[in-house]
Amino acid sequence: MKWLSLGSSFFRNLFRRKQAEQSLDDEVSSYVELLVAEKMKRGLTEQEARRDARLEMGGSSQIKEEVRNIRVGAWLFTFLQDIRHGLRLLRNQPLFTLAAVLIFSIGIGANTTIFSMVNGLLMRPVPVPGSERLTYLIQKRDRWRNGFSYPDFEEVRRQAGEAFSDVAALRIFQMDGLSVNGKSQPIWTEYVTSNFFSMLEVRPAMGSLIPSSQNLKSKDPVMVVSYSYWKNHLGGDPNIVGQKATLNGTLVTIIGVTPEGFTGLTPILETQGYLPLGMYASTQPQQNKDDLSDPRGDGVLVFARLQDGITLGKSQSVLAVIAHRLAAENPATKKDLMIRAASLGSGMLSPDGSNSLLAASILFFVLSGLLLLLASANVANLLLVRAIGRNREMAVRSALGARRFRLVRQVLAETLLLGLLGCAGGAVLGSVGSSIISRVPLQSDIPMVLDFHFDWRVFSFAVGAGVFLTLVSGLVPALRAARVNLNDALRESSRSYSSHRQRFRTFLVVAQVGGSLMLLIVAGLFVRSLHNVQNLDLGFDPGHVINFGVDPHTAGYDDVRGREFYRELLERVRALPGVESASLAATIPMGPEDLGAELKIEGYQEAPGQPKPAADMNLVSSSYFQTMHIPVVHGRHIQDTDTETSQRVAIISEAMAQTYWPGRDPIGRTFTRSGDPGHTWQVVGIVKNIRKGLLMTPVSPALYVPMAQDYRSRQTLQVRTSAISSEAITQIIGLVHSMDATVPVFDVRTMTQALDSPDGFLLFRLAAAMASSMGLLGLVLAVVGVYGVISYSAAQRTHEIGIRIALGARPGQVLKTILRQGVMIVLCGLAFGILAAIAIAKLVGSFLVDVSAVDPVTYVGVSALLASIALLASFIPAWRATRVDPMLALRCE
Amino acid sequence: MPSNQVELLQGTLDLLILKTLALAPLHGLGISQRLEQVTRGTFQVKPGSLFPALHRMEERDWLASFWGESENNRRAKFYELTRTGRRRLELETERWKQISIAVARTLEANS
Repeated sequence: MKWLSLGSSFFRNLFRRKQAEQSLDDEVSSYVELLVAEKMKRGLTEQEARRDARLEMGGSSQIKEEVRNIRVGAWLFTFLQDIRHGLRLLRNQPLFTLAAVLIFSIGIGANTTIFSMVNGLLMRPVPVPGSERLTYLIQKRDRWRNGFSYPDFEEVRRQAGEAFSDVAALRIFQMDGLSVNGKSQPIWTEYVTSNFFSMLEVRPAMGSLIPSSQNLKSKDPVMVVSYSYWKNHLGGDPNIVGQKATLNGTLVTIIGVTPEGFTGLTPILETQGYLPLGMYASTQPQQNKDDLSDPRGDGVLVFARLQDGITLGKSQSVLAVIAHRLAAENPATKKDLMIRAASLGSGMLSPDGSNSLLAASILFFVLSGLLLLLASANVANLLLVRAIGRNREMAVRSALGARRFRLVRQVLAETLLLGLLGCAGGAVLGSVGSSIISRVPLQSDIPMVLDFHFDWRVFSFAVGAGVFLTLVSGLVPALRAARVNLNDALRESSRSYSSHRQRFRTFLVVAQVGGSLMLLIVAGLFVRSLHNVQNLDLGFDPGHVINFGVDPHTAGYDDVRGREFYRELLERVRALPGVESASLAATIPMGPEDLGAELKIEGYQEAPGQPKPAADMNLVSSSYFQTMHIPVVHGRHIQDTDTETSQRVAIISEAMAQTYWPGRDPIGRTFTRSGDPGHTWQVVGIVKNIRKGLLMTPVSPALYVPMAQDYRSRQTLQVRTSAISSEAITQIIGLVHSMDATVPVFDVRTMTQALDSPDGFLLFRLAAAMASSMGLLGLVLAVVGVYGVISYSAAQRTHEIGIRIALGARPGQVLKTILRQGVMIVLCGLAFGILAAIAIAKLVGSFLVDVSAVDPVTYVGVSALLASIALLASFIPAWRATRVDPMLALRCE
Repeated sequence: MPSNQVELLQGTLDLLILKTLALAPLHGLGISQRLEQVTRGTFQVKPGSLFPALHRMEERDWLASFWGESENNRRAKFYELTRTGRRRLELETERWKQISIAVARTLEANS
């Protein structure tokens, strides 16, 4: 009943406003009439009666406003009224509106771009039912790691039923060759336990998935392909289910397709195919068939689904008990073992917490957040300037009965409109920005999901940023605008200029200069670091070298046929015209793969507590050092006479020589590799150091062994040509295919392109580009702010300047007075910005190469740049002020 | 002015208006004159508080209004109690009595 009547009043108020207003008018005026009549009855003249009545009434428009405020739904009317009023104002001041919306858009756009990256990389959940209950396990022996040995996985699975409804494992991501209907191509696969898909509760798009079986290491010769692989690489063949194919030469049957959008559990990487874990032994070359039964291995990743009603915290105690038991049973190898579960919902982070992706996200979030603050300071400044022009409007409105709260709301509503427009603009800019970033070429054929598309999270973030901007930039101006002194405002005096307000604006501009200096310093550091990276002496010459990834094993070649294939390939490539040198290498600089070897070196004993001797290792053919232009400083090259049956030999880098044979001649000395204790390797040559990866760390010891003595099927054919041309590339690919069309050729890049990979220069380039664009945007905002404040205060002082000039002040003196304020703002801003930059130096420092995070050159250079631009921005209005005609200035008052 | 005082005054004004209208419908000026008369000038209700109070009570469905003729034949808006208004009056009266007894006791105890 009550709600009904409230509802009807609401609708009456909403839709019959005019009548309600009319009725209120009538009521108030009839009240006055009655009062007048009453007073006249008591003997007053009509004039006296009216005067008395009016005094008794008070302001009738205030009374009406009070009544309006009481009506049901009053907030909605006033809100709509505010919006309408705001729209009118914004339309009447197109320049102001444009500027404010643009600044909002920049701030929101930059933040949305960064957020869409963070969202795509770290926040988007795996698209499976109940993904919030999925976890991955990590373990700590000497350090935290993702990998488990298969026996440990089985133990955990057997004992953790209390906490987890199921536990599954997979062998991570690797490239195989798939041949369907005579067409062969690379496929990136994972080998999974047979309960993998049932644990994920994933339903196939077609056919069926790896069948559950008692035997987790099922050897059924079946495979499942991903939806996008099926669409893009298998032509969307509708008869794919049941299709026979060969994977690395082994016969398999394709039994199903995963649902669209499912790209596997590893973040960023897109898994294209799944096979039963038991198939691993039969599809992989001999040297990879390591360790599934080895209790010390770490070859599988372990995923688990929490039981309903079990929290992550509860599961940790179950895992702790299991770890304790395992440690007690194997005191030699698993002392102090710890196992924990981590939520998969937010992506898989590296377990030791040193996640550079996360750190980079935080850094760029800080920077873009700062840009957002700069934008809101700028808009606040614009609003404050405008508020001064609106003093009279506000005074009149409050005289007519508007309460202060009402005025605050009015100004906030206007800002909200700007914020909404800015949100729209920001969303557009943000989607442009994120699509630019997701299209950055990664110089690798490894399938990746860099999907930064806008989902509800990104949208809510953009809206949240907009509301934040609105409130931060609108609140102070709104409170200021509503705090009007009727007497002052209504008195005709535009010169009454509030120095208090000016002080707040000055503070805002100082903060802007400081913030943008910080952004620019960070940008400068990244640019310098990129410069250093690109001019780094790599130790080899990347020019004129083309890389071709080749792997005959994926076409079913065994080791003997593989060696023969490579021998013939090198022979034929070297015979091509224009080819100066050709060689094979298992890994390339800045490439996705690295090989390492733990060593036992004759006559070398590590200091206690130091890590065992180890080195980066590469397996190379003859001519490798000629192809890469790596100088041999001592001893000999790798030669074709180094074969499977001859003495094992190694070429070492200078760094390795200095580390393990300091002050002695390493030539002729020997070592063994931990993984291969049966062979003794003899050092026969020393080469210059090269940079292979990890640009931020010192060069580590490296060793090269002949490919013939440690054969891997996957090689990169590296060809140094007289000139790089697409013909040369096509010719060489054609050559491989003329030898065997089923052998895949992949990752075809010039060496220069290959250096621009995510492991190489790419991230430095991206970081420098992103930091620079933020720095430039910040600079623009700061310059606009400085210019605005100085020209406003110069305009305010036109009268004063006019008098000074009339009294004989020289333009130089006037210039100095005005400029002094600009100089003060810039100096304070610089000090503030330098302090702020030093404050985040630690976060920035971990991304820099050969440049300190408090690099004085950058600090001074960038400060000078910003100072001169900002001073120029304040010089223009100051100079204009000196041109004031004293007569005009005095007359216009 | 502290807000609890406003609250109290507002509630009291509502009660007084309801009571005044319990006998017969009245227009705005009638209500304020009647109140002044009955309280012997203690309460002088200004239009600034009277109008908002009337409209608030009308929106809450305690009062109904109609246009009619005043005693000297002028158009005026009259207010009368609704059924809800009467119930409200009883409730408020009861509450007021409790409050005044309680206040009186407190004052006596302390004297």
